[in-house]
Amino acid sequence: MAPLKHLEMENPIIDACFRDFCSSHGILTVEDFLIHDLYELAAFAERQVDADRLKEGITVMLSLVEVKCRPWLNGMELLEDLQRNKQTLSSGDNGTDSLLQGGLREGQVTELVGPSSSGKTQFCMQAAASVAEKQEGSVFYIDTGNSFSARRIAQFICGSSAAAVLRKRVLSRISCHTVYDIYTMFDTLQGLEVALRSQEQMNVNECRLRLLVVDSISSLITPILGGSGSQGRALMVALGYLLKKLAHEHNIAVLVLLKFRGIGCVILLQSSFFLISPSVLKVTNYTVGAGENGKTKPALGETWKSIPHVRLMLSRDNRNNSCTISILKHTSMLSGQTVTRKDNQQCL
Amino acid sequence: MREHEAARDWIRSDETAKQMLSRVLGDRAFLLLPPLHRVPLRAGNVVEITGSSPTAKTQILIQAAIACILPKTWNGVHYGGLEKLVLFLDLDCRFDVMRLSDMLKHRLLEANRIGNGAWWQLEESSGVKNCRGAQDKSKSKSKIVYDEELYVSCMKRFLYLRCYDSLELLSSLKTLHYRIRLQEACGSQVGVLMIDSIGAFHWTDRLSSSLALDKNNRKSLSLTNVVETIVQEMKKLMRVHSLVVIATKATIYEEKYPTNENNRKLSSNNDKAQQPPFREFMPSSWQAFVTHKIFIRKSGDHHQSSGQQSLSAYSLEWLQPQLSSIDRFIVDDVSKLDPFK
Repeated sequence: MAPLKHLEMENPIIDACFRDFCSSHGILTVEDFLIHDLYELAAFAERQVDADRLKEGITVMLSLVEVKCRPWLNGMELLEDLQRNKQTLSSGDNGTDSLLQGGLREGQVTELVGPSSSGKTQFCMQAAASVAEKQEGSVFYIDTGNSFSARRIAQFICGSSAAAVLRKRVLSRISCHTVYDIYTMFDTLQGLEVALRSQEQMNVNECRLRLLVVDSISSLITPILGGSGSQGRALMVALGYLLKKLAHEHNIAVLVLLKFRGIGCVILLQSSFFLISPSVLKVTNYTVGAGENGKTKPALGETWKSIPHVRLMLSRDNRNNSCTISILKHTSMLSGQTVTRKDNQQCL
Repeated sequence: MREHEAARDWIRSDETAKQMLSRVLGDRAFLLLPPLHRVPLRAGNVVEITGSSPTAKTQILIQAAIACILPKTWNGVHYGGLEKLVLFLDLDCRFDVMRLSDMLKHRLLEANRIGNGAWWQLEESSGVKNCRGAQDKSKSKSKIVYDEELYVSCMKRFLYLRCYDSLELLSSLKTLHYRIRLQEACGSQVGVLMIDSIGAFHWTDRLSSSLALDKNNRKSLSLTNVVETIVQEMKKLMRVHSLVVIATKATIYEEKYPTNENNRKLSSNNDKAQQPPFREFMPSSWQAFVTHKIFIRKSGDHHQSSGQQSLSAYSLEWLQPQLSSIDRFIVDDVSKLDPFK
């Protein structure tokens, strides 16, 4: 909320006289300027002595606002951006790739939901290994539940014949950060955003961030959700939008994990795994609760459902030792499609 | 004599009622945008589509957008569109342009297939277009190619902007008028303004209202003020440009009445005042601004006869103006099917 006087240096028309006029109408910052009716303000300015100068000041303010706005893109430009910048990352598993028509998409937030020990973390680590090895991108892994295991990821890196050097190089591209509460999460993500922006300005393209994983977003959000207050949900929405912004502006895939919430087990909250691949943001958010007629209730509430682009559900069948991935929601595919795969796949 | 003439000019009418009616109907014509075709829309109408997630609301927007950006006829094929610009304000930030592109291509192919009985083959070679019309009555599956130039011109009529918070939304709305004027200088008119998920920043704005500190003489950035300003800016836009506003709204509270349509019909005979089937959370300034309301809910799975997986079916209900019929539709892979009962 920068006060208006900071603009005076570059725009001498916003002098003390203009600022006095504005503050007499309750406008002290640029944000205040946005919620006022400008025509009304101009009409008030008419009555003043230096009407023309004041109106010119209003026009300058409006043009400053316009400079900050994003440009309107038409359909062809959107397509171009999609084809040029946003690639599809393989998730490490052929079945999932065929289900998702290529895999995790950069610029999208993918959510993976499932009950506990259904293989969500394994899925995330497999995706991380695949991105680090095959796409040669770096992975930012945010771990909220101490489930990250470098050894397991090393197992996913293909081939027992993989040289130690290769393994070391691939593993060095994956950075793991432990975060236990939502404020540290905001801190980490905002730091990441700043780092990415400066990286882009310097045009460093090799080994750029492609996947962002958030293992268990629900363990960050559920402690703050509660009651009818708006703080928890506002923070959740703000986090969701920050992830979407990271995904789209920096061409990252974000993967988020969510755990189920069992009936009666209020403690076991669904954790969303956010696998944030700088290219693909995957978010899993799934909750099962004691809803009406035994329906499942969303773990993070109805509001969270509009955050991720793609929602996948992972379920495990212990008898056949297989797990099934089904699409709950996708921006460009039908929901309900499933694929089943056998367990214990070490590598492709 | 001069004064007489001036007085006579002043009394003489500008136009007759018939002329005025034809002018108004031409400027602000009725639009029929499927699948919202039950109620004809005029410029100045504000349609609000409510539904929980996911209920194919963005899908409806995309289909309406395609109906708007297509031309009426092109190269002899009738498309039945409005050939106007669509402004898409994405507050949900989840729009997938591939969906728009696929649906547009499908629509072009379909129109080519059934239009005029002539199968056109269009080739593009370095900007020069050769059109060979083959009057083929037989069902030989020759290649139906859609018109690339038409596709590009349609995609260019779709304008898109995303906003990550309400301040960005406000600044976009304030500068929208000048941008529309720039576009109209190129010859195209704006037909529809679409807003995906008007309630997207509801919680963050509510938080700012509770954090508002300075109360004296300053308008705080609260939820009511922000929505009021949004409504104000949109009203100003609608006064100057003739456009229809279509906004989707995702419900943020769970459905209190776990009913299907049958239950509601039974209970509505007893109730005098019809309760909306969802909890309204938008401030009253927005509710007063909306002229048409639609509610979409999931209505069970539709099992396809060909044995493929069942698709989810949705039902669309007009709440304002209240229509007694309910449209049901399913979303198929490439395009939206027509309402079925």
